[in-house]
Amino acid sequence: MKFSSKLLLCTMMVMAIALGFSGFYFVNYVFETSLFREAGQALDENSILCFAFETAALNVPAKYDVLQDNTVEQIASNLENSGQNTSRMLRLSDEEKNTLYASDGFETDDALLKQTDASTKTYRTIYLNGHYYIQTGNTVNALDRVLYLETLRDVSEVFSEREMGFRVYRQVTMIILVLGTLAMYLISSLLTKPIRQLTRATKQMAAGDYDYRAKKVSSDELGQLTLDFNQMAEALEENIGKLQDEIQAREDFVGAFAHELKTPLTAIIGYADMLRSRRLDEEKSLLSANYIYTEGKRLEAMSIRLLDIMVTRHGQAQFQEVQTGYLFQYLHDMFQNKEDMEFVYAYDEAVVWAEGNLIITVLINLLDNACKASEPGSTIEIRGRTVREGYCFTVKDYGIGIAEKELEKITQAFYMVDKSRSRSRNGAGLGLALCAEILALHDSSLQIESTLGKGTCISFVLRKGLQERCDDIHEEIHD
Amino acid sequence: MMIRILIVDDEKPICDLIDLNLSASGYHCTSVQDGLKAIDLIEKDSFDLILLDIMLPGADGYDVMDYIRPLKIPVIFITAKHEVKDRVKGLKLGADDYLVKPFDVVELVARVEAVLRRYNKTDKQLSAGDVVLDLEGRRVSKAGKQVVLTNKEFGLLELFMQNKNIALFRETLYEKVWGDEYISDSRTLDLHVQRLRKKLGWEQNLVAVYKVGYRLEVPQ
Repeated sequence: MKFSSKLLLCTMMVMAIALGFSGFYFVNYVFETSLFREAGQALDENSILCFAFETAALNVPAKYDVLQDNTVEQIASNLENSGQNTSRMLRLSDEEKNTLYASDGFETDDALLKQTDASTKTYRTIYLNGHYYIQTGNTVNALDRVLYLETLRDVSEVFSEREMGFRVYRQVTMIILVLGTLAMYLISSLLTKPIRQLTRATKQMAAGDYDYRAKKVSSDELGQLTLDFNQMAEALEENIGKLQDEIQAREDFVGAFAHELKTPLTAIIGYADMLRSRRLDEEKSLLSANYIYTEGKRLEAMSIRLLDIMVTRHGQAQFQEVQTGYLFQYLHDMFQNKEDMEFVYAYDEAVVWAEGNLIITVLINLLDNACKASEPGSTIEIRGRTVREGYCFTVKDYGIGIAEKELEKITQAFYMVDKSRSRSRNGAGLGLALCAEILALHDSSLQIESTLGKGTCISFVLRKGLQERCDDIHEEIHD
Repeated sequence: MMIRILIVDDEKPICDLIDLNLSASGYHCTSVQDGLKAIDLIEKDSFDLILLDIMLPGADGYDVMDYIRPLKIPVIFITAKHEVKDRVKGLKLGADDYLVKPFDVVELVARVEAVLRRYNKTDKQLSAGDVVLDLEGRRVSKAGKQVVLTNKEFGLLELFMQNKNIALFRETLYEKVWGDEYISDSRTLDLHVQRLRKKLGWEQNLVAVYKVGYRLEVPQ
């Protein structure tokens, strides 16, 4: 059952019960009041009749000291007919409570009569021949006789009024309930709108539509829930996006890896197969053997780089304070034998917080790439300078440059802008991927600017050593 | 007329490998390492068969395929991608066959011959010395006289004649001729070779290669 229907049903049930009780109570109250008033009037009337009887009894010619029964009948008959309305009904009984006179239709039992005595007036409500009556009983003292006078007062109207009241009230209740149902239906569907919105959003998301958002339609708790839900959806979408990117990256990596692995393998297997199954002349044998060797080397280089990347990814780097001068000196020593390039070094002395060997690997890779991209004899600039965020390393070459659309791909594993060129220089397409991994370990990343045909400038920033960072903070405070 | 084959692969070692093997089987090969250069060559020269790598610099294999299709030149894709969807894509684009890296040299030659035969570009007959093998009629004759061979003997002979002067490994021979059939005795192969030698008078030509298998030696 829908929540809005439940809400509607509950409200309507409560409303129906409340209306029923209040209506019953109200109509009954009016009825009781009317009946009480009627009873008062009936008693009054009874008293008046008693008085009239006593008066009439006094006026009877005193033939006897005792009031005769037929005289009583006479008086009673007179009294019965003396009223303006003909419906006056009375009954007179003697001391032994035997009926002396009774109007037509006065057919009630004598239960009331038995309760009546000299000191009390009594009354009760009875149902007789399709009418409701208030029966009153009183004592009359006439000429030494104590008689009992009972009257009946027709109060059917009060009862039928009560019936009418109930009927009218039922109708009004029905109309109010119908109207209330309509109103509550609108209200409940309005109140549950945020829930429906959320349900739709949940279904959409379950079906894979992660960028669907629930519309916020109220500012109450449900509105807050909608906001929270959307926030959750946002986070979820982001995570799923990340996950998908990761899966894509992994698939790309595996695909590229398989490709890179299969090519040298094909060559090695193919040439070895040729050597073992054919009689080749010396030239072809040498060619085959050489290909097996170089392709084997290529596999070796690739596996070493891959291991580097894996070690970097999972290994714990030993961070320490490293003098930048030491790094640049190391590079200088390493590349000084390479005489066909002109290396220009310019750096500030500073201390950086890093794993020295890994940073050297990054710098060597960048320098290697710069050499590969440059014509012999051109300049390669290696700079280091203190910047606000730390210490910035820059390697700049004036070589072939990288096209803009290639820029974002070049740190992917196995990606090579120019394969044949890279291969001929023993590249595996893993250098920049390794650099990116190492720098990620240092909370840093490669910044690459490049113009096709003009050259490339690659830089990255490392944090400074602890001491220098403290100094900087001091300076800032003093400034 | 010599059959001309174009090899397009970005790896020089692979190009050379294919070139060497196909040349030895009597084809004339040209190789390029770049998609754009391949397109130039295809438009300028005429080829009987193109071996095409998919991952190429310049223009990839699928692009090159667009230029080849109107010329109705048969194509064999050479690919490191072994996923079914890649192979299906290649075949849908109109490739006649595909070869997944790494591949055996014997397989390369066999597929090249199969595709060429389908296009009627190669002889329906193989010959070595005075022995002629009719692939379509499945008949063998020596010096014009018919020789009766069993199915397996015919398969063996076909393999030897396709790979003249190449040592064929026992496992290769088993795989190609017997397929998945269970062979109870490793001497089955030797027995068949014996029968072939006897039937064709090739005692000197079908040479056993120590620890390898057999080689058909015919003067080139």
